[in-house]
Amino acid sequence: MITMLEACGLRKTFTLHNQNGVVLNVLDHVDLDLAAGEMVVLKGPSGAGKSTLLRILYGNYKPVAGAVRLRHDGEMVDIVGARTSRVLDIRRRTLSFVSQFLRVIPRVATLDIVKDQMLTRGIGDAEATERAAAMLTRLNLPEQMWGLAPATFSGGEQQRVNIARSFVAPTPLLLLDEPTASLDPVNRDVVVELIETTRKAGSAMVGIFHDDAVSSRIATRVMQLSPRKAV
Amino acid sequence: MIEEAPLLRAQNVTRLYGGRVGCRDISFSLWPGEVLGVVGESGSGKTTLLRSLAGFEPPDEGAIHFRHGTEEHDIYALDEASRRAMMRTEWGMVHQNPRDGLRLDVSAGGNIGESLMARGDRHYGKMRARITDWLQRVEIDSSRIDDSPQSFSGGMQQRLQIARVLVAEPRLVFMDEPTGGLDVSVQARLLDLLRVLVRDLHLAAIIVTHDLAVARLLTDRLIVMKDGHIIEEGLTDQILDDPHHAYTQLLTSAVLSA
Repeated sequence: MITMLEACGLRKTFTLHNQNGVVLNVLDHVDLDLAAGEMVVLKGPSGAGKSTLLRILYGNYKPVAGAVRLRHDGEMVDIVGARTSRVLDIRRRTLSFVSQFLRVIPRVATLDIVKDQMLTRGIGDAEATERAAAMLTRLNLPEQMWGLAPATFSGGEQQRVNIARSFVAPTPLLLLDEPTASLDPVNRDVVVELIETTRKAGSAMVGIFHDDAVSSRIATRVMQLSPRKAV
Repeated sequence: MIEEAPLLRAQNVTRLYGGRVGCRDISFSLWPGEVLGVVGESGSGKTTLLRSLAGFEPPDEGAIHFRHGTEEHDIYALDEASRRAMMRTEWGMVHQNPRDGLRLDVSAGGNIGESLMARGDRHYGKMRARITDWLQRVEIDSSRIDDSPQSFSGGMQQRLQIARVLVAEPRLVFMDEPTGGLDVSVQARLLDLLRVLVRDLHLAAIIVTHDLAVARLLTDRLIVMKDGHIIEEGLTDQILDDPHHAYTQLLTSAVLSA
């Protein structure tokens, strides 16, 4: 069993300076270990800190205490407090975050969005194009859409572009924040299949899924979080 | 992948304007290929800092070190000629107003060619080919090569300025509000262009902006300035999504989302 991620002693509070300095206590003493080929699904009511935990693992939120060590280039690296260029290198090659929202520069064409990460990692243009095309086809996005920027696409279509971009050349660690949230049943099944294939190929994942049918299909383990009270 | 020595180091940079603080005690390092954003409201010292970093105005205190090969140079300790040579070959400046960065009495092609000549290119045929190539890269029709930039729109002038700067293959580019004053559709196009060029040329850049959306799209790391000081610094998405300082929280919560 190869450990891909070990988070320990995570604590997170938010201080709202412009709202009377209210302090929200969201996570306290949270630990999580994750091995290659595992899918840990986070459970808990709204406000329990599921998204907060996911964002801390990505280096997007800064915890008040604790460490997030993840396997990068064969060694365990703490993403909390790592230098920016290190974090970006980790995100380029080891760790990705898949949300239900697509955030891109307005006029970039769909095909180019899906190719972008591959090009950044040094995959040649021809191969990147071929793989991007195959992934878009698999996600039922017809070729007529590939040359268009996704701004005018429906929510579900944009979401699939986002999934295509994340799963076309998946990283060893994936954090999934409701990637199937607004998909129709057919496409939801395609995405569930993609997640399964990627996990079986060895990627380790942590995810949030509100759909119990989906989460029971893909989870290898469930982690329960409970809400904290304000300090 | 990661080069271990910083390209530029600012050390306690302070610049005063007759007792009034432009920027005070600014220290940070920039690594090769990294894009750093400097945000903060007008008057927070962003442009002052940029001008000092780019070699235009010596700081009153502190130093700016630039790495050339394996050697680090204190840029204001160099003699004027060496500093100018370095500014010409190692870095470039994209001004907010393209008219400050272009020669308006010289043709579009000439504006790009001047940069090539400044670094020693003399072969006319090769220069012409590179100029045409760069016009295309910044999406200006090559039939406009002999036209005056005065006949260009604001967005085209800005793209021409970018070509003039980048053709010299700098390792570091300074940009002061590069999309300021452009309409939204032109801005998006320019942002995409800059993003691709930065990636393909492995450029390091320091971008001053007050537009947080621009900062999110283009930069890796952010410095937040207020009253001449750095008040918060870190990974761009971390600063924007989990701001810790009261002022940064105010700044990010004041953004209107379309």
